[in-house]
Amino acid sequence: MIKRVAAKPLSWLERALFIDFIKGLSVTIRHAFSRTITTHYPYEKLTPPKRFRGFFGHKVVDGNEPQPAYDEWVERFKIEVIPGKSRCVVCMLCKRACPVPQLFEIEGKKLENGKRVVSVFNMNLMLCTFCGFCVDACPVDCLFQSDIHETASYTRKDSILDLELLERIGKDWQARREHEPDRIWIDDSQREKLWYENDVKLPELEFRGRHEW
Amino acid sequence: MESVVAGVIIAIIKILVILGIVLGVGAYLTWVERKVAAHIQRRPGPMVVGWHGLLQPLADGLKLITKEDLFPRYGNKFLYNLAIVLALVPATLVFAVVPFGPEFELFGYKIKPILTDVNVGLLLVFGLGSLAVYAIAIAGWASNSKYPLIGSMRKAGIIISYEVVITFAVMGPLILAGTLSTYEIVQKQIEQNLWYVWVQPVAFVVFMFALLAETGRVPFDIQEAEAELVTGFTVEYGGMKFGLFPLVEWYVEVLSLSAIAVVLFFGGWSPINIPFVGFVDPLFFLGPFSPYAWFLLKVTLLFLFILWLHWTLPRYRIDQITETAWKIMLPLTLINIVFTAVIAPVVWG
Repeated sequence: MIKRVAAKPLSWLERALFIDFIKGLSVTIRHAFSRTITTHYPYEKLTPPKRFRGFFGHKVVDGNEPQPAYDEWVERFKIEVIPGKSRCVVCMLCKRACPVPQLFEIEGKKLENGKRVVSVFNMNLMLCTFCGFCVDACPVDCLFQSDIHETASYTRKDSILDLELLERIGKDWQARREHEPDRIWIDDSQREKLWYENDVKLPELEFRGRHEW
Repeated sequence: MESVVAGVIIAIIKILVILGIVLGVGAYLTWVERKVAAHIQRRPGPMVVGWHGLLQPLADGLKLITKEDLFPRYGNKFLYNLAIVLALVPATLVFAVVPFGPEFELFGYKIKPILTDVNVGLLLVFGLGSLAVYAIAIAGWASNSKYPLIGSMRKAGIIISYEVVITFAVMGPLILAGTLSTYEIVQKQIEQNLWYVWVQPVAFVVFMFALLAETGRVPFDIQEAEAELVTGFTVEYGGMKFGLFPLVEWYVEVLSLSAIAVVLFFGGWSPINIPFVGFVDPLFFLGPFSPYAWFLLKVTLLFLFILWLHWTLPRYRIDQITETAWKIMLPLTLINIVFTAVIAPVVWG
């Protein structure tokens, strides 16, 4: 059953004395003298959550690869593992998962010792929708999305990420945020670090389990 | 002959001072409005250009001046440009009859800080106020576009309703003062030890409503109604031509009508009033500048109150606005006139 809720109509005295006007005015004056909650964007920036879908990057080989998946893929494609270089195994699953596959340009090359390594990995972000399917598809946790969200550039060329740039973003990310937990709960201290950085006072949220709502 | 020359020189100085103050302050009121609006919405407003955005009006002006001047196809170019002049001139002219302070003597000349103390000052104010409708109607017509036309027709409807109401509303103070000259009205209030707002609260409320309606401030801003009409009659204007309309409507007119409201209801330059007893002046230490400070303070407070209303209230529909004017405001003012006529002998003392 739908319960209809309507405000009580004003009496003639309330109309004559502008009671509703005065209520509204008291609300606005209270807000006018409380602190502003603006982030002064170019001068101060909020840190996005870890799972933010920003620019792409390649995580590099540092011993934290998902095992045994990584070793299996290396074995299958006979990949040369170079520490400090991209984990990419040239499986092309990211390109398969992509709704606009032509934005990927991936090539591998054969080294003299018979092993293979990724040589070209270009992503044309002019075509990208930042949907993250490629990240989900990556079997070796190589391709990921970082917290870099200021993606504007002066030329179209700048919107193409090549292998070198992807690796640089990956190294930067691994140094800064790899250790953070993936998920942030509402009562997590991590959450405060993200959103309370600028002394912004968010209202205290009442934490209740899902069944209590 | 010498006194004529002196009179002309004094008048020119007055004109320059008033024009400088009005247009300069008018430009800076954009900054004030943006700050007030922002803080009501818990934003800081302009912060980048200058300290707390103090140079923002200059930056805005520079931007508006350097913009391309577009003209709608099949519009009427003469009327299109005439509308701007018609909007700016009457609104500024109202300040000719706004008294800023009491008479003082300088180098042997008696100077009233009012441009022309004509004995029909208030009639002049309302005559010039009615002229504003021509600017808007012409702007809407000359643009050859539907939104401006709708906006200007709405504004014409409002002004026709509220000019009647505002004229009847000021009838009360006029009966009490017995004069139409703005300077004399303030003098009378000081002589009678009475701000007219104490005995004319209804007239004051009606005057405030009419002020909001004539200047297109919020409960009555349907002539621009950005949600429906983009910006109403200014849609086809660009650059500085566009900048002038809000400047005139929202700032110069609000300022002039606030000044008139202060003159009529709050005793112009007089300090705080205790009805029928006398005046209390907490700003006595300013000496001869205290009246000017009081006038400025009252106009500023009234202007800020109008801003506060603007950023609080939602918008009425056109039928509700005209209905309020003809069915509620007009009878109220008529009752108020009768009431005033009854109490007038007490006030005249």
